[in-house]
Amino acid sequence: MRVLKLSKKDEKKLYDVLNKFGEVWAPVPKGSRYVYDKIEKKEDLVSYNEFVRTILPIKKFLMPQDFNILNLSPSKFETPKVDIPTRVIVGVPPCEIHALNILDKFYTTDFVDNYYMERREKVIIIGKSSLPDEYLFSHKTNTSIVEEGYDLFFIDLGDYYLVWVGSEKGDDIVRLGSDIFSEDVPVDVAHDFVAYREKRRKAFTKHIDLEGVTDLMELMYDADFWDEFGEKCLSCGQCTMVCPTCTCFNVIDELELNKDEGHRRRYWDSCMFKDYSLVAGQHNFRESRAERLKLWYTHKLKAFIGHFGSPSCVGCGRCIITCPVEINVETVVEKLKG
Amino acid sequence: MKKKPTLGIYGFTGCAGCQLSLLDCEDELVDLFSAADIKVFYEAMSNNDDDALVDIALVEGSINTNKQLHELKEIREKAKVLVAFGSCANHGCVQAMALGDGKWEQRFKQVYGDTKFTVAIPREAQPIHKFVKVDAFIPGCPPSKIQMLRAITQLLFGNKPTYTNSPVCLECKFRENECLLNDGKLCLGPLTMGGCTAPCPTHNTPCIGCWGIIEEANHIAELKLLKEKGFKIEDIIRRFRMFGGSEIVEKIEKLMEVAK
Repeated sequence: MRVLKLSKKDEKKLYDVLNKFGEVWAPVPKGSRYVYDKIEKKEDLVSYNEFVRTILPIKKFLMPQDFNILNLSPSKFETPKVDIPTRVIVGVPPCEIHALNILDKFYTTDFVDNYYMERREKVIIIGKSSLPDEYLFSHKTNTSIVEEGYDLFFIDLGDYYLVWVGSEKGDDIVRLGSDIFSEDVPVDVAHDFVAYREKRRKAFTKHIDLEGVTDLMELMYDADFWDEFGEKCLSCGQCTMVCPTCTCFNVIDELELNKDEGHRRRYWDSCMFKDYSLVAGQHNFRESRAERLKLWYTHKLKAFIGHFGSPSCVGCGRCIITCPVEINVETVVEKLKG
Repeated sequence: MKKKPTLGIYGFTGCAGCQLSLLDCEDELVDLFSAADIKVFYEAMSNNDDDALVDIALVEGSINTNKQLHELKEIREKAKVLVAFGSCANHGCVQAMALGDGKWEQRFKQVYGDTKFTVAIPREAQPIHKFVKVDAFIPGCPPSKIQMLRAITQLLFGNKPTYTNSPVCLECKFRENECLLNDGKLCLGPLTMGGCTAPCPTHNTPCIGCWGIIEEANHIAELKLLKEKGFKIEDIIRRFRMFGGSEIVEKIEKLMEVAK
């Protein structure tokens, strides 16, 4: 893996380099939060010092919220051809890159989801490390440091960024931007790097103790607190929308008015909604809110480990700041630990 | 050629905005008129055939007079499938915001005094399902173009329309809005049927519940949350009732109990 330097005085030139590879997308402020948005001018590409937690994670680039996957007519059915732009996503924090690695496993194990893959191949990830805020707990989910899944990764060391090259695409970028990316990375940079790592490690304040939680999920499956959460839950589904590793969707066939044609729609769904677990014959596998919450936390903290070897919570803290009634990884773990 | 299904579009008390929204589907109107044989559509045509038997009746508006009640029952007899079209027909809408409080006659007198009504004797606004069997519904105040055309297409193919059984919050999050509840606003998003694409919260205006209450609405939890946030019980209940129509009436006693 190569490491280069980008001086902050050359930072403004970065946009033009990236823009040669595709549309540039980066977090921009929206209210008190951020959203990934398309950056049209180089002045608008801003590097934020604080931890940036966008309202929706990068999964929004990889699976459209609502789209047609099939056009149907009496003679044929075909996948609609869509022009997917190459998007360079700048400023992705490590925990979200971990989430991306999880999505990659999920969408490619056993069956490959082509709708995901064709978008995944068109995404270039420019990660960035920053100091944690009061909600980030990725140090507890082992997702605060990232070693794979990005094309380039930036670490802010004061006057310059250290730039890790993580893929061939990343290498193409630094080669094309050879006038701003410097190969001159002296050994003493390592001291700054270690000091930064140490400072960052100490800056985490949200200590959610996840040790043993997988076993506790099993043991506490019938505990009363789930019903208490169930009574509080608004079934708004926000937790599943904002979670970077939630992938649930629904598929529905629709016919066109006055034509022998139709289409098949696929859209984001939520296991917090009653209809999600409704099957033919009006049977519902998870009739109550408490059962749905249990499913979600089982999936995040336990079941995913069995399938993929790691929990599917990356510690981004979105559920903590989003759930209006404070049902989140922190409050659930508190109850699990009694 | 297969006979086209017959369609009647009827309106009772409301703003007529649901019918207007249907007319607003300009690009699809030719397809609609080609796919269905429209027998009644007062807002759009002359020569309405009131006596026609129809395959599908879309009924807009709440029932506010005895005359309307009589007409509704006639429509029920003439229609194979009767669809409540929009919020007024579905749950009563704003004209039913005080439904069941026992003070309707008093309010009526305050406005109309001793006026004698001879043809259409007024009554407290009620949704149509209080009087006749309703086979399907299209939510909305007014229904969105996409959802309305989707539902009508399904009906014309002889299927029951599906609707968005998820709250406004789903589409609100699609549009990457911050949660207005977390911002201390009295937002009814979680209680309200989606499909509107969340235009109000997107413009920083809390949801007032105009599409009607969603099946899974957890009013008790929302009431507790809003109370914690410092809202007055009267204000919360008033907002719940605004578009809550007949459905909130069934919940109100329990809510007042919790509020205490």
